[in-house]
Order: sequence, then C-alpha cells, then structure tokens
Amino acid sequence: MEKLRKSLTTFLVPLLSILLAFLIGAIIMAGLGANPLTAMYALFKGAFGTSASVGTTLNKAVPLIFTSLCACFAYKCGVYNLGGEGQFLMGATTGFCVVHCLGLTGLPGILAALVTGTIAGGIWGMLPGILKITRGLNEMIISIMLNYVATLFMGVIYTSWIRDANMPQTPSVDDSLKLGRVISDMRFTWALIIALAVGLILYYFLYWTSSGFKLRAVGLNMTASRFNGFPVKRYILISFIVSGAIAGLGGASDLLGTQYRLINGYGSGYGFDGVAIALIGQLHPIATIIVAIFFAALRVGSTSMQVSTGVPTSVSDIIQALVIVFSVAGMALTKLPEFEAFRLRLFSKKGKEEVNA
Amino acid sequence: MSISFVTNLILAAIRMAVPLLFIALAELYSERAGMVNIGLEGLATVGALAGFMLTYLTGNTWLGILCGALAGILINMIYAYATVTLCANHTVYGMAINLLAPALASFIYRVYFGEGSSLMQITLMQGIGIPVLKDIPFLGTLLFNQTPMVYLAVALVIFTGIFFGKSKAGLNYKAVGEYPKAAATLGIPVIRTKYLSCVICGALAGIGGAYLTTCYSTTYTEGIVSGRGFIALAAVIFGRWTGGGVLLACLFFGFCDALQIRLQVLNIGIPYQFFQMIPYVATILVLTVVGSRKAGPQANGKPYRKEER
Repeated sequence: MEKLRKSLTTFLVPLLSILLAFLIGAIIMAGLGANPLTAMYALFKGAFGTSASVGTTLNKAVPLIFTSLCACFAYKCGVYNLGGEGQFLMGATTGFCVVHCLGLTGLPGILAALVTGTIAGGIWGMLPGILKITRGLNEMIISIMLNYVATLFMGVIYTSWIRDANMPQTPSVDDSLKLGRVISDMRFTWALIIALAVGLILYYFLYWTSSGFKLRAVGLNMTASRFNGFPVKRYILISFIVSGAIAGLGGASDLLGTQYRLINGYGSGYGFDGVAIALIGQLHPIATIIVAIFFAALRVGSTSMQVSTGVPTSVSDIIQALVIVFSVAGMALTKLPEFEAFRLRLFSKKGKEEVNA
Repeated sequence: MSISFVTNLILAAIRMAVPLLFIALAELYSERAGMVNIGLEGLATVGALAGFMLTYLTGNTWLGILCGALAGILINMIYAYATVTLCANHTVYGMAINLLAPALASFIYRVYFGEGSSLMQITLMQGIGIPVLKDIPFLGTLLFNQTPMVYLAVALVIFTGIFFGKSKAGLNYKAVGEYPKAAATLGIPVIRTKYLSCVICGALAGIGGAYLTTCYSTTYTEGIVSGRGFIALAAVIFGRWTGGGVLLACLFFGFCDALQIRLQVLNIGIPYQFFQMIPYVATILVLTVVGSRKAGPQANGKPYRKEER
C-alpha cells in the first residue's frame, strides 16, 4: 500500500507539472491575443491529428529518446552527464565521415556508421568519466565543454573538410544508406525501432540484472557501495561510456534516419532536453521514452499552432521548461518532512472517517 | 608581433574577462553560502536580453545594466525558492534554470522584435579615461582607459577579498557555506543568508550577461553567452574560491578568448573552428592540471533542513 502511494506521488507530480505548465502556456497565449483553446487544439491536432502527423512526431522523438536515455543511464549511476549533445554530434559526425570517406553503401555502410558512431560517442563520454575518477574533476563542466568542442568539430567538417560546393553543409549520405520507413505511410524510420530497443535493453539491464542493481546502488549511495566492495570507480566509468555510446548511436541513427547531412545548428539543445526529459521521466527508461515522445509532440504541434493561430513556436519551449521547473520542485516538495506530515495527517483523517462510518 | 598587437591582445583579453568575472563572482558568492548554481548560463542570458532591451528602449546603457541585474535576480529567485525552501537538488534545478531562462529570453525577443526581424543594434557604453593615469605609456591605455564596468569589476574583486577575508559579516556568510548547523547555533540567519546569496548571484550574473550586449556586442543573438556561464564555474574552482584567484582565472580565460579571435583573423589556413575551441579546451586542461583537491566550502551543494539533526 505504501509503495502504491509512493508511486502515485511520483506519477502525479509530473502530471500536475504538465498541467500547470500548460495552464501558464495558455495564459501566455491569451496574452498574445490568441484563443488558448483554439491554439491548444491546433497544437494537439498538429502533433497527433492524422497518422502522418503521428509519424512525424515519432520521428522527431528519435534523437530526444536517445539523448534522454543517455542522461538517464548516467544519472542512475549517480553522475551527471550533461554532454549528451556532444556525444550525439560525435556519433553523427563520425558515422558520416566513415561512410563518406570509405564510400560505403547499403547495409554494410549502415552498420559501419552505426557502430563507429556508437564508439565515437562512447569515447566522447569516456573523457569526462576518466577525468572524474582519476583527477576528481566536476564531470558536468567537462562534459559541457566537450559539447562545444564537438559542435565546433562538426563545423570544421561541414565548412571545410567535406563541404557541399558553396553551401556550408556536407553532401547528403548515399540513398542506399538512408533508413527505410517501418510503415510506408508514416514517416518514422527504423531509427525509432533502434531507439525503443535501446530503451528496453536499458530497462532490462537496470532492473533485472545484478550488474544493473549494483549500478543503481552506486547511484543511490556511493559511500555504502564502496564499503560493500563494489568497484565504484569502474561503474562510474562504464556508465559514462555506455551513456555516451547511447547518444553516439543516436547521432548515427538520426543522421541516417532523418538528417542525412551535417549542417549548422544540427543537434543544438538535444543534450539539455535529454536531461530534462530523463528527470521528468523519473529516470525510468520506459517513462523517459514516453516523455520524449510528449516533448516531440509539443515541437511538431507548435509549428502547426503557429501557422493556424499565429502563436510563436517558442511558447512550446517555455511550456517544456516550465514542466521541468515544476516537476523538479514538486518532487523536492514531496520529500520535505512537512509534506510527509501533511500527507500522513490527510490519510489518517480519512482512515478515522472510514472507521467512524 | 608588434607592440600594438600585444596591446590590442591584452585589451581584448580584459574586455573578454570582465563578463566572465561578473558571472564567476556571482558563483563565488553563491557557493560561499553553499549554493552550487549551474544556472549561470541561463541567468546571464536573461541579463543579456534585459540589458539589450532597456538600452534599446531608453538609449541608456546604465539602465540596461540595472535591468539585467534585476532580471537575473528575478529568475534566480525561482532557483532560491526551490533549492533553499523546498530543498531541491542544486544541480538539477540549475539545469532547469538553464532551460527556462533562454526559452523565456528568446520568446520575449521574438514576440517584441518579430520573428524574422533584422538585427537590432544599440550603441555601446563609452570608455572613460582616468585623467593623468591614462597618459602613462602602454599601461595607461590598458588599465585606465576602459568602460566604467571594468573599474566596477575590479572594485568588486577588491571588495570581495576584504569582505570574505577581513569582515565579520563575511566570515558569518562563509560559515553558512562551511557548516550551516554550527552557523545557526551561533545565531547566523542561515536561510536568509542563502537567499541573500541568491540575490547577489542573480544580480551579478545578470550584469555579466548585460555587459555582453551593452559593452561588447551591440546586438542580442541567441546563444550570446556561449558557455561563459559554465566556464565561470571552472573559473571559481581554478580561482580556489577567492576573489583574487577568480580574477586571475578570468583573465586567463579572457586571454584565451581574445587569442582565438586574433588567430581567426590571421587566416593561416586552419579552419577557424579549431581556434574557437581554445577557450573550451583550455578550461578542460586547466581543470585537469589543477585537479579538485577537495577545496571549496564544505557544505557546498548540500540542502539545509532546519529541523534535521
């Protein structure tokens, strides 16, 4: 019963946060002179109205699923990987360069891009991990600095090294490398299936294997784990590598699934969005995937909202940010002793009434 | 390598160091009270926007700076309430601020100036030379012919050194970051000090952001802070949580930034992005060399609950 109540709170907090964020979003919309109900309707219709728009939403969710699972995995081990964006971009960039320079096509090319992208992401994630366990550095600062380096490195590729004639972008990947659609009239590709598979594997690993249990134990209490003889540093390093590898695989999959070429602004914000999504999803891989799809829906929907009602798309960015602002504060609130006392009083009162009746 | 190249390089280094210095001092005041705030990037972004808009509307850069500070405080109060009163995780909440503040800033900019508007420009704050001193060869141009914000930043560093090193109020303030329970038994208002630290942090980070638009770039663009909020975090560690140390760290990072701009202009056949990487790579290298050596306030980043023993 206690467990049920607890999971109810963990479920209710994000839900209430979402509602509250939308309420404020509606007030902003009204302030801009639009009818909030029409705007909201346009938003949801744009995201889920037709099977085509559902496909677009799912497709948009792919990079977010990867970066949020990346953040989720590192958090589970108690370390902050804010470098999802850099790892994602290194995956995409490496995957692109490998197939482009070796001239690979077809299935071998796809596999080569995915594998090298995963490795590149893993290496990019390993750097803050190594610096943390050997030099005790703050992994957040290092991983963020590496984001900037990765973005600039991608810039070198598309402006200088592999440039498509006059445009500051790379040529598109070969047609045989582009991932196909799973269902022909919906836009999402096999990249989504890879993303979902990664999510399921993470769920299985974290909750159904002993290594996963130990990894979570390290995340919950590093000191206790060390006294229990767990190799804490090794777990931290592994979690960084795996976390980076997930983002790297995401970069390569998204490149072959949707993006096809490297271009200015690609991947911008994916890392931090991933962190936000993982936190709202309470660091549970399956919940994280659902929240990622929700975020993608907001993005896809906001475009059609702008077209039909004139409300700018940036309103949806504010709604997203408010969801995280409210849900983190809400989760902290439920852990306060005052809240616990309030909850007990509430339930015991109910209990008394039941006895009286 | 003429003398004017060196002078210009150092001048640019000082100009680049100042916004970083304000943001790093913001974090210093925050962490001295035990509040790790990684939302500096977001705070500086709203500061930059507020500074830009007020200067655009009134033509007065000082009002812009003031408004930047107020905007920073306003946003940081959300952080303060969530972390001090609700005891939310500092790092996680800082991230939330980093998402909310830029979203808010770009929304306001787009709604006010229109989606695809041409780049709005403002006139920058003018430099003020200090009489006599500015005529000293070499040093005069470097140190005594700057915008008032540079003098303000230096004054702030000196004040910070005296405040934390010599004054009772400063020692009380530090006690909150070191051991809040002991501080509370001595009658130091822990919660109030923590809130105060957030006000100072918001104001200084906002000023740092506003400096970028009112004294440096003439326009507001998305991503104008470009990681300075995070480099400032590194500067506080590098500067060993002291005013003077932070100043040196910021001068170093400012120098890296100035150097990369100069190298880009030289145009020597290396893609310019490699030069742009210099400040970020330097941050990583510096931290790696310095290491962590368990410095900094003892209770940094830990929630403080009054009733808990």
